[in-house]
Amino acid sequence: MIRLTIDGREATVPEGTMVVDAAATVGIDIPIYCYHQALGPLGACRICLVEIEKMPKLMTACTTAATDGMVVHTQSKAAEKGRRGILEFLLINHPLDCPICDKGGECFLQDYVFQYGAGQARFEEAKIQRHKEYPVSPYILVDQERCVLCQRCVRFLGEYVGEEQLLMDGRGVHTVITNVPGIPVTSPFSGNVIDLCPVGALLSEPYHYRARPWNIEREETYCSQCPVGCPSSVTGRDGQVVRLEGRPTPGQWGWLCDHGRFTYDFGTHPTRLTEALLDANPVTVGRAAQVLGERLAAVVREHGADAVAILTGGSHILEDHHALRRFADEVVGTSRIGLVKPVESDLPLALLGTFAELEQSDTVLLLGTDPYESVPVVHLGLREQVRKRGLRVKALGDRHLLRETLAGEEWVVEPGGMAAALAAATAAASSHPDARRAAEGLDPADESLTGLGQALVEADALTILWDGREPDLVRALVALARARGDRATRVLPTFGPRNWLAAVRAGIPTDYETTRRILMDAADGRIQVLLLWGADPIRDFPDGDLAARALERCPEVYFGGVFPPEGAKLLAGMLPTAAWAEETGTYVNMEGRLQTAHGAASAPGQARPTRSILQTVARAFGSPLRRLDEWDPYEGTVEDRVVLPPLEETVTSVSRSEAAQTGKDSGFRLISGFDVAVTHDPSEVAARTKEERPARMHPQDLEDLGLQDGSGLVQILSGDRSFRVGVRSDPRIPRGRVFVPRGVTGVPINRLTTTDVAVRVAEEVASR
Amino acid sequence: MLEALKGIASGMKTTLSMLKEPRDTYPYPEKRRELAPRYRGKHMLAVDEDGHELCVGCGLCEAVCPAHAIRVVAAGAEGDRTVSWTERYAVDYEVDLIRCIFCGMCEEACPTNAVRLTPFNELAAYDRKDMIAKKEELMAPPVRR
Repeated sequence: MIRLTIDGREATVPEGTMVVDAAATVGIDIPIYCYHQALGPLGACRICLVEIEKMPKLMTACTTAATDGMVVHTQSKAAEKGRRGILEFLLINHPLDCPICDKGGECFLQDYVFQYGAGQARFEEAKIQRHKEYPVSPYILVDQERCVLCQRCVRFLGEYVGEEQLLMDGRGVHTVITNVPGIPVTSPFSGNVIDLCPVGALLSEPYHYRARPWNIEREETYCSQCPVGCPSSVTGRDGQVVRLEGRPTPGQWGWLCDHGRFTYDFGTHPTRLTEALLDANPVTVGRAAQVLGERLAAVVREHGADAVAILTGGSHILEDHHALRRFADEVVGTSRIGLVKPVESDLPLALLGTFAELEQSDTVLLLGTDPYESVPVVHLGLREQVRKRGLRVKALGDRHLLRETLAGEEWVVEPGGMAAALAAATAAASSHPDARRAAEGLDPADESLTGLGQALVEADALTILWDGREPDLVRALVALARARGDRATRVLPTFGPRNWLAAVRAGIPTDYETTRRILMDAADGRIQVLLLWGADPIRDFPDGDLAARALERCPEVYFGGVFPPEGAKLLAGMLPTAAWAEETGTYVNMEGRLQTAHGAASAPGQARPTRSILQTVARAFGSPLRRLDEWDPYEGTVEDRVVLPPLEETVTSVSRSEAAQTGKDSGFRLISGFDVAVTHDPSEVAARTKEERPARMHPQDLEDLGLQDGSGLVQILSGDRSFRVGVRSDPRIPRGRVFVPRGVTGVPINRLTTTDVAVRVAEEVASR
Repeated sequence: MLEALKGIASGMKTTLSMLKEPRDTYPYPEKRRELAPRYRGKHMLAVDEDGHELCVGCGLCEAVCPAHAIRVVAAGAEGDRTVSWTERYAVDYEVDLIRCIFCGMCEEACPTNAVRLTPFNELAAYDRKDMIAKKEELMAPPVRR
């Protein structure tokens, strides 16, 4: 540790700390533009000049490492003069158009000039004119006149993300920030440069001219689009969400991906449910709840409580899940309650890891999931760890999971072969009985897989990112964890829905089997009323046929949620509920961590919070829920995380049934996964870059099909089932396979029975 | 008794002496009071010689208003400076004249000298809603007869 004195205050900091960070630890604010802890020192803007004793000239606090006994003055005459001079230089060509600048009121240039700058400029010459409102992507405008050339944006995209799409062009006073001519910025992390820009040079196009810091409500929230739950601030104006920004918290930089950042307006999307419907007739939501309560009471009287089943979709807040649980127990009395999730497997919750554990791991395994697509901000975290301390990345999947920006070692196996490969690899490197039991009957691992097994078994701390496909992987994962003994083995589930772990906290069964049995009972006519709360089983449930049958056969299906589910025609009633940012509520992210998000907008139309609707239903039923709001979601949690059960799975051998299937010569193998770029909520803002071709194939395969320009519309056939889907080229999909993400409306891959498919070029239909 | 009569007499003396003084009241509306040149009455939004609105919708008036009487919604204009003298302009500009305390801070804060307080002070309506001056109303400043 190093001791130094800053403005007479003693600071003790670890070696290598920059003076600016050391000053922050004792509460002294040194102005900075170019410096960002995640990007490291650069010293481009010179605003952080401080006087350091025994140094002949002023030093930049962001590039000078603290040394023992250093004496720093930030408020001395020389330091003040230096800052004033730098600000005068920065303002030479700055247009001073604050009244029309979106950053006005929350701009570091304004703040620092006000605090440290000279009251008047001495330059009378004409200012250099440059591009204003120059679009570098559908979301980002560059105002080159306002730029202070701190290079944060260039370095963030180029170094931190690894996608060099913004650059500095020109020399001296003619330097500007721009994109490569003709190539717009496409990185899914581009929106972060808007947050990073300390001045009004990089602006959000959707927020352009929309609001001012003094006429908005800015509340702390967490992004709602994927299970990562990135800390963010939501901006509401006149009851509508107009912006989402990243919010740095201790331990997290506050990055967001563009899919989350620009989907903030889903609450006002035209397809949003804003009125209650009973048999497709609009009614008030109070009336619909009343009818639902009376129907439930009649059904329970006639057929018993178990004739009612409740399925949650895992998108509502934790408080709503608790209310649903109590509604099932205390009002209806049914034991049939479950969660609709898009995967067949049940993660052993004892293995659930955290992002902090990920940062301490020395090895990370990507198991079937590409974090860049399923949980984008985790990809950034992985890349930072790889760059900072050489985190080892291994990938095992049915397609190439690594990319240019995330290096490592990867193994590509047959579709459905991940579980067998992991079990065999573990068995090759460990003689633990569970490892051997899991690999029973499997071919012994080949040489390359032995390497994977050794890397996994011998890692000091291992974190696995898994998207929940292949239920057999549970056994392989447990075997791996047991084989590793006391060393930490942690799994982070990358599948949605956003808030499915809230069901765990609320005591709603989250396993696949419970939900499958409820749907079977509904399909067999044993259930009279099925209540879907945010659940879209036909789209999301892995057995889409069963879900469709259940919805068709069940006499009355009611839905409460934000967007109408697939098969809305089969519903007896729909009730609109409040969505994210419309009420304060608690979410549980993929770490099992509770996060309370605040509201900044009002629910449109008749949408009401779930608890209020359920209370009306309960009252009409005849047994109101009491003291619903007294429940504390955080009670009994440890460090804000849900309490995890001990690991009790017994390991049996991993089957090879699916892996044994071989594709026909001319056929394709269907592989799937999660891609938040195509499965995020419908949004008019994010529609600008929404991928309309969710499926992907190898470019050579596409060419063989006759789609020369690398994209098109194909028909995917399997048995008597088929669907059309837009496809684009992706060299990371192995030849002979077609990747279709799960949970895409209108792309029913969960209704195909085998993974052997034929792919044909479909005619473009000129519709819509 | 004598004290009471004395009191009445001294009171009447003041009253009668005032009969000769000039009157402080006016027969409104036939005759109207002359106002100070910088009297602060109802707001107006000014335009420049080319007819461009001076207001760019920056919202500083909204920020400075101690009574929260102003609401500004800005937008970007289609085409080249079709509404105001720059790309940004105010779509909505509302002044709640019931809330307004006519302090003139909005006028003082305005970087483009768009908001001005006119001497117009005849503010009355039968409905509260009519007392919220919309942008069109403010663009056509009322003239005091």
